[in-house]
Amino acid sequence: MRNSVNSYHVRQPLYTWDLLRELVVRDMKLRYKRSVLGIVWSLLNPLLQMVVFIFLSRRVLSLEIPNYPSFVFTGLLTWNWFQTGLTLATGAITGNRELIRRPGFPVAILPVVTVTTNLIHFLLALPIPLLFLVLGGGRLSITILMLPLVILLQFALILGLGYLVATLQVTFRDTQHLLGVFFMLLFYLTPVFYDVSIVPRRYQTLYQLNPILHLISAYRAILIQGNLPDLRTLLALGVLGGMLLWLGHTIFTWASYRFVEEL
Amino acid sequence: MPNAIIVQNLSKSFRRYHADRPRTLKEAFLHGLDGLRRVAPKERFWALCDVSFSVASGHMIGVIGPNGAGKSTLLRLIGGIGRPDKGQVTVHGRIGALLDLGTGFHPDLTGRENVFVNGVIAGLTRDEVVQRFDSIVAFAELEEFIDNPLHTYSTGMQMRLGFAVAAHTDPEILLIDEILAVGDLAFQRKCLDRIDQFKAQGHTIILVSHDTGAIQQLCDKALWLRRGRLVTYGPADLVVGQYVAEMSTETKRRTPSTKPVMLTPNGIELRINENRFGSMEMEIAAVRLLDTAGLPVTELEGGQPLSIEIEYLAPEPVDAPIFGVIISREDGLVCYDIHTAAAGLTLPTVQGRGTVMLELERLDLVGGQYYADVSVYERDWSYTYDSQWHVYPLLIHPTEHDKGVLHPPAHWKIGRSIGTPGQ
Repeated sequence: MRNSVNSYHVRQPLYTWDLLRELVVRDMKLRYKRSVLGIVWSLLNPLLQMVVFIFLSRRVLSLEIPNYPSFVFTGLLTWNWFQTGLTLATGAITGNRELIRRPGFPVAILPVVTVTTNLIHFLLALPIPLLFLVLGGGRLSITILMLPLVILLQFALILGLGYLVATLQVTFRDTQHLLGVFFMLLFYLTPVFYDVSIVPRRYQTLYQLNPILHLISAYRAILIQGNLPDLRTLLALGVLGGMLLWLGHTIFTWASYRFVEEL
Repeated sequence: MPNAIIVQNLSKSFRRYHADRPRTLKEAFLHGLDGLRRVAPKERFWALCDVSFSVASGHMIGVIGPNGAGKSTLLRLIGGIGRPDKGQVTVHGRIGALLDLGTGFHPDLTGRENVFVNGVIAGLTRDEVVQRFDSIVAFAELEEFIDNPLHTYSTGMQMRLGFAVAAHTDPEILLIDEILAVGDLAFQRKCLDRIDQFKAQGHTIILVSHDTGAIQQLCDKALWLRRGRLVTYGPADLVVGQYVAEMSTETKRRTPSTKPVMLTPNGIELRINENRFGSMEMEIAAVRLLDTAGLPVTELEGGQPLSIEIEYLAPEPVDAPIFGVIISREDGLVCYDIHTAAAGLTLPTVQGRGTVMLELERLDLVGGQYYADVSVYERDWSYTYDSQWHVYPLLIHPTEHDKGVLHPPAHWKIGRSIGTPGQ
């Protein structure tokens, strides 16, 4: 009965996939189990935000942006995935005390689970800006084929950062709280409901350092404007995402032996 | 016979942190450099020290030792949780664990959903869970309830389901931590039967338990740990016998015979080896039973609050002693038994005089003569510092119909009878 070594290599990727799937399904079920509206909640939140911003842009701020509903909805979806994904990934270890005490449980999967759960919410809401676009007389472009790439980049960025904050949260329990404050401030400094072009020139360099800005721009380019996103920017995001993922995973793995002791 | 588990020179230390270690980033930064320094561990203590042994494939071994001896740490390291500081663990075969039954369950999911999530977490693929699902549910005897949410299950039902899932992951090596102490008798019987079955099928099993009887009965060999070090490893009967003998002689041996007889404020003599036992490294200097107003009492009405203040004297520093209080009846029946460790409290290192207070919100006992028996133990229960039995009396005033032991607040409510008499 020592052939288990061979079957292990066939079995392991299959098993990891099953584990990811079960944990994501569990997360989704738990979130919507006790609410009547269920999954609609995940759409309602950005929709309501969008209504407020449409009001602001027309009646208060007088922003002149074409296809504003799709414009702001795309921004909100990207932002929400980033913020919620990262905030929930922060608690991925501290909230799963019993799982990390299981022999053989691959702890590194936990942040992947939270980011994936939020990816699903993102994907479920994605048809909405496209619908607004078509209703507003716009057209979908072939550039939509770039969508998986941008999603992949965002996934890598969130997950890389997620590994770092999840590790930090184990030692400092206010990490999640501070992250909430940070995101609240960053929201206004990220062109979610306005266009980056109205930002004065001298602040532009600072603005360009924000990776979420580039993600939002890329989504808007391929979904709304029908343009190819700036490929150099995508490459830079890819390098950044890869590095963060490597760094985050390395630190996470290094620290993960101590998780059981710290919790 | 090949070895399933080989442990070589295994050592594991844990960090002990500053008591005022910052738990938040805010605190860490507010204290500046000093705060950041306190994030780092203060010292290490060795939970396991140079432990070596091997387990033959198909054998069952029991691990015994007082609390804090490193039993659970050993089990975890064999399970691959945490990294040893020195030495290594080699394991041949897939590991399954019965460590905390049912902890992975979620109350809002149904039994069915929980079986799937937990089966996969325990190491099965989804297909394997599908194949075994009926058998798992049948084993847990929960066919009728499997689609109800878990929060409608009793603790016993959750335990059964937890064990059923774990029992169907067919591990080659099974790690069991104290599960025999939980659940009802029928469930324990079922666990033991299943463990027997595992044994018969040639699985290797490691069982951690305080129940020396169970270890003697089930295991081929036993391994005795004391303060992280291996004391003996050999045939279960022999090792358990030695262990039990040492535990009881340890306290007697350490009890000094020269301590003069002392008098409590109530005029009761404290005589060594009669109503007082222990090494006297740390002494219980006085015990005061107090009422709500903080005044000393020796008599109470049933159902009244009672505070028990223990004054201790520790000439030398004593690390993390455990205080225990027993309320016992005149005839020796233990009515209540509580200690600081059970409450999850770890005392700091103490020296000199100090007090520890236990507050009981109600003492719902029937009338009679009782005693507050106070003890203080070494940090891992290996022996007793001081224990005073039937020294501090407490009279509960009898009421008219006192029978039994408990006297909780009680009310009868008579429902209307249905049906008409005489018809």
